[in-house]
Amino acid sequence: MSEPTFGSDTAYRAAEAIRRLPVPGPWDVYGEKIERYEIHLNGIVREMLRGPLRLEGVGLRVIRPFEQKLGVGFAATSDISSGSLATAVHDAEATARYSRFPASKVELPSQSPKGVAVETVDRKAWANPLESLEAYVHALVTSFEGRPGIVPSFGSVHLTLAESTLANSSGLEHRSVRTTVDLEIAVKAFGGPEGRPPGEYWVTSRSVRLDPSHLRQDVDTWCQRAADVRRAKPPTAGEQTVVLPPRVLTDIIPEILSFRLSGTAEIRGIGAKAGDLLGAPAVSVWDDGLFPFGIGSSAVDDEGNAQSKRTLIAAGKASAMLYDVLHASATGRTSTGSGLRDSLAYPEWEHFSSQPHPVGTTIVVGTGDGGRDAELAEIAGEGIWVDQLGYAFPDPLSAAFGGEIRIGYRIHNGQLAEPLRGGTVGGVVVGGLGERSLLNSVVALGKTPELTAHLSCPTFVVEKMSVGGAD
Amino acid sequence: MTSLRDAEDSMAHALRRLAPHTSYAEVMAQRMVGHSVRIDKSQTSINVEPRLEGAVFRAWDGDEWVEVASSGLDGATLNGSADALHHRLGSDANRTPPPGVSATGNAEQQTHSKRPLESVAVEERLAIARSLYKLALSPGGIDNAIITMGSSVEERLFLSTAGARRWQQVDRSRGTVVPVAMESGKVEYDYLSYGSMGGWEVLDELTEERILETANEAKALLKAGSAPTGAMTVLLDPSTAGTFAHESFGHGTEADQLLRDRSYLKPLLGQMVGPEFLTLVDDGSYPGGWGSIYFDDEGHPAQRTVLVDHGKFVEVLHDRESAAVFHRSATGNTRRADFLSRPFVRMTNTFVEPGDWSLEELLEEAKNGIYLQNCTSGIEDPLGGQMQIKVKKARLIRNGELGPVGPSMALSGKVLDFLKGIRGVGKADVFSIGPGYCGKGHTDLIPAGTGGSYLLSEAVVGPA
Repeated sequence: MSEPTFGSDTAYRAAEAIRRLPVPGPWDVYGEKIERYEIHLNGIVREMLRGPLRLEGVGLRVIRPFEQKLGVGFAATSDISSGSLATAVHDAEATARYSRFPASKVELPSQSPKGVAVETVDRKAWANPLESLEAYVHALVTSFEGRPGIVPSFGSVHLTLAESTLANSSGLEHRSVRTTVDLEIAVKAFGGPEGRPPGEYWVTSRSVRLDPSHLRQDVDTWCQRAADVRRAKPPTAGEQTVVLPPRVLTDIIPEILSFRLSGTAEIRGIGAKAGDLLGAPAVSVWDDGLFPFGIGSSAVDDEGNAQSKRTLIAAGKASAMLYDVLHASATGRTSTGSGLRDSLAYPEWEHFSSQPHPVGTTIVVGTGDGGRDAELAEIAGEGIWVDQLGYAFPDPLSAAFGGEIRIGYRIHNGQLAEPLRGGTVGGVVVGGLGERSLLNSVVALGKTPELTAHLSCPTFVVEKMSVGGAD
Repeated sequence: MTSLRDAEDSMAHALRRLAPHTSYAEVMAQRMVGHSVRIDKSQTSINVEPRLEGAVFRAWDGDEWVEVASSGLDGATLNGSADALHHRLGSDANRTPPPGVSATGNAEQQTHSKRPLESVAVEERLAIARSLYKLALSPGGIDNAIITMGSSVEERLFLSTAGARRWQQVDRSRGTVVPVAMESGKVEYDYLSYGSMGGWEVLDELTEERILETANEAKALLKAGSAPTGAMTVLLDPSTAGTFAHESFGHGTEADQLLRDRSYLKPLLGQMVGPEFLTLVDDGSYPGGWGSIYFDDEGHPAQRTVLVDHGKFVEVLHDRESAAVFHRSATGNTRRADFLSRPFVRMTNTFVEPGDWSLEELLEEAKNGIYLQNCTSGIEDPLGGQMQIKVKKARLIRNGELGPVGPSMALSGKVLDFLKGIRGVGKADVFSIGPGYCGKGHTDLIPAGTGGSYLLSEAVVGPA
């Protein structure tokens, strides 16, 4: 089946203009044509319809040798007229004169790999974006019907269609498409005889497809959590066994591992080295750029190199790192197809305004033999099942994370007990020598993986995590 | 195009195409340019910030707002957006006017920077960054230092079918120094950051004394013990107090959330929520504030709004719609992150007004507790009224004396309990407004200033 397309040629047109100037290599140009639709809700009422929101632009990179190093210049613009492109070339060349990267040469790919097919698009949504979005929002809103004392109070669904084109001085031309769905919804539980203040469960998610098939089940869970918030109490303070499901780990693991296990960290002397002990023996981690319907999945990265599945941690030990062409050159390696323009921390719906750098795609953590949720609670015995943190704010530099428990459950005698809210949970994902960390304190991994944004992983049972709470 | 005003005729023409089909329409065009420098031990990057420009059209459809936006400011693109919006409008979009009062009249405002973006050559920017880098490494024991300096110029032009015209140009600059220390695989850092409305002169605040102190703290953090946990007396530094004012309290005063019944503060309007010496303010007109603007994205002028006046919760922040419902005036707080983002009620510079306690007096009052410094993040809970604020470092207070630096920590608890527990507010001599970015929910980041002086209260703390 052929890929959907806008038929855009943004980068190719820019490349033609660059060749005419002419501009010596190496250079590459990444173009995007994007269309977005948004529906914003106030309760179950549509508050605002937005779209089409259209954005087209290019990011131009030039790479120049200077005194055994490379000058890397970059300029991006949403004005793709010939005059503006000439300005972008001028800006890129000017910044290249002053920028310095610790590599002496770089090779850009001349052709993209053939025969690699990756699912990155919701084809139905691409064909009829507004109708598909409206149908999804209708399914979402009707999933709240018949639930007294429960309403969505704030929310929106965004559907983004993006076509990117890539061209470079080696002759590469590559086109790819993606769809992205961003859901944000706050579910409020209120009323009732008990006179308690309302409770809220605030959900955000990012995926490739508008898939309403799980909505009713998801809404069941969200409503239960919102109701539980109303009767939740703070946890007790101290070191405890904590269970972290994928929806919590997705805000913690990808950003820290995809930095610490990258060429970016390596050239600064803070990257892990092959064989370094980073986690418990049960912990194995991959970066899978070909993960079906994964955010960031594609046949090639944003520099034109083939994506693949890379082993980052094998049985607790660091195995491989993520490189784009520049960091690969600086460390004497080859690109792992990890040169992406997206940011895990602050994902934007456009990528052309950023330079490529080593970034993880879908981080996959291997499953374990801890069983399903009930068995994992049994393994924990006593502790806390964290369902949602305010936000973990992972810090790639120090590898620290932590946040307030917005909703969780006490685990007592191996079973989920009363709901918890307030207090904090935190630590480091990977630590220094002898330092306790999230990955080296894992005592069990669930048997079922779940894909949430950039992470596919099972639920973790982690011992001796530090919990701030009531005394 | 040298100024956004060059596109004004085309914008006005496109708006006139819409006028017959709706009771109200507006267009906001944006253009942004900027330069930044980033250096550390391995890399020097000079960046020309993306040249993004485009416009968003908004029209009232009788019972909801409809928007269409596009990059590009040529006549054909603008007309295309206006026509696309026309096609989205129902046949009765003229039936009712939009809620609230439309801005009218013509006004222009711009930042007058002492050292504007274009006046400082690349070589000079690099020289400044290198000197900061050397300073950060000078105490020894620092493995790396990350220096970032950036300056941007943003223009916005707003036109409406009600006859409003607003042009503004806002210059902002920011600099950050992050000394990094390492030992046995452990990585720690501290940071110094300063940013405000203005040009490169803003970076003069990154002084030698402050940089050396930050570098020494980074080294000390390597040796920091574990974080204390539990409920205790907390003393917030100005950056943390500002984040409390913004994230924990301020988001609950955005009136669009009150209209959704999504604010724990709604039933408390008009009531005492804190001690009489506590005053909280949002001020988009604060001179030089990082979050300052001249006009909001509905054309209303930025203003100072006292939210809590001597302990009493007296006002919330309005857009035209909420102002109409609450029978108030728009407060100049309707902001779009950019021309592709929708407008929301947003904060500008949100801060705790200074009090009259010195640091020594506050420490003595605290007696035992913890001093939280260098805020790194916060997140709102507008309905639940919980708070989460994280800091890069903390110091135990024992018998009124500060101990050695400790690790990053998170503060949590109920905002209203925290407010009621406030025992002291620091003096104006340490008052500052710091640079940050605020999301509405998890998207739409805008520059938002947060500030204050010291704040003494009670909260739960734990690791972060």
